Amino acid sequence: MRRIEVTREELERIIKLCENIEKRGLDPFTVNIRELLEKLRRIVEENPNLDHYIIDAETLYRISALIALQHKWLREKAKALFIDAQMISTRLVAMDKKMLVKAFLKAWHPIISLEQITPQRLRQGLEHFLSLPPRSGSREFGWKITDKEMKLAKARLELEEKAMMEKIKALHRELLRRFEEQGGALDYWEFIKGKNFDETFERAYLLSFLITEGYVDVKRNPLKNEVKLIPHKEQVKRKSPTSLVISLRGEI
Amino acid sequence: MSGEESFSRRLMIAATMLLFKSHRRPGVRGWELKHRLGKNYMRVIDALNSRLKQLGLEIKTVFEEGEENNLDRARFYVVLSHPLTMSDLVAAGWRIDEVAALSITLSILSSRGGKAPLRDVLEVLETKFPKWKAETYLERAIRRGYIERLEDDVLTIGWRTKVEVEQKALLKAVLEAREEKEIRSD
Repeated sequence: MRRIEVTREELERIIKLCENIEKRGLDPFTVNIRELLEKLRRIVEENPNLDHYIIDAETLYRISALIALQHKWLREKAKALFIDAQMISTRLVAMDKKMLVKAFLKAWHPIISLEQITPQRLRQGLEHFLSLPPRSGSREFGWKITDKEMKLAKARLELEEKAMMEKIKALHRELLRRFEEQGGALDYWEFIKGKNFDETFERAYLLSFLITEGYVDVKRNPLKNEVKLIPHKEQVKRKSPTSLVISLRGEI
Repeated sequence: MSGEESFSRRLMIAATMLLFKSHRRPGVRGWELKHRLGKNYMRVIDALNSRLKQLGLEIKTVFEEGEENNLDRARFYVVLSHPLTMSDLVAAGWRIDEVAALSITLSILSSRGGKAPLRDVLEVLETKFPKWKAETYLERAIRRGYIERLEDDVLTIGWRTKVEVEQKALLKAVLEAREEKEIRSD
């Protein structure tokens, strides 16, 4: 029994070693693959039982991954003209900042792209700006937002919030009605489907509020790739809420 | 509309798509260009590229990893075709220190096959900058997309480096820069 434990530990150490090299991007040639394989063969021959075979297979897989990594490493090295990483590090330490920048500039071709403002973004920016609380005391520069403008902005925001709440409530009523008609959980994709992508997106967005607030439960079946909705008339408190990301097809 | 007019209109559409950022990241996918310009979109891109070259710009195509021949999945960017000078760099708002830190980081990552532990990179950076500055520059490089930070504090080459930096040329320049310095000191 003791012997089995020791060999298991040995195999786990090999797995860990291979994993570390892969994860940390270390030189895969620092490990003697032949030695590892010989060790694995000895362990397999000494422990011919089913329990052991699983970890043997895992070890073999890790060693194979390491060989693949050696192949990749060689290819990358060849691409980088077999320049030694240690030599580069030594040279980087020896170079001054201007030399480093000059070297970088020789290889740098920055992307050229322009940000563009859309009317929608402009409106969002204005709304955000108007919603900011006024600075204490009088402003010495820039323009002042009058109390009237602030009230108008607030009133507009309240109106939008009210409209949004109405939409959410209507969606909740629709969900409850369809749930009763169908007599069971509703399919997520069928429910959010609108006349076009914009409507589908809006329904999914509004539904996410109902789910977050506890008016709708979501059941996901990863085997069938199904997402089902179960609505509640009243808000339900959740003990351990989790997040679920659902991406909609369509370009954003 | 004549064929020539239609072609020049498609050139304009391509230029707008490539120069104006419409997603979070710059660049346009091949299938987006195909959708707007038609199935012969590469002809339009080639024509635009030759015009941009006259202005010191060029169109760069970056393929997805493992899909080296799939133009539809590739991303197209407009990049500067000639190297910038030090004064251009300063005028564009970059700090010499920050670019030096980026140069060190990318050289280390490129020389190690695109991946290195954060600790190793910081070790070299700290020979030039105080620790807090080195960390700030790394964070900024991550935010700009030049490098990525994986779990277990491992750094890898980011999407932006793949587009903007010729990694082989960078390593070569680092080696040659030392020789220039030696010649000067002689």
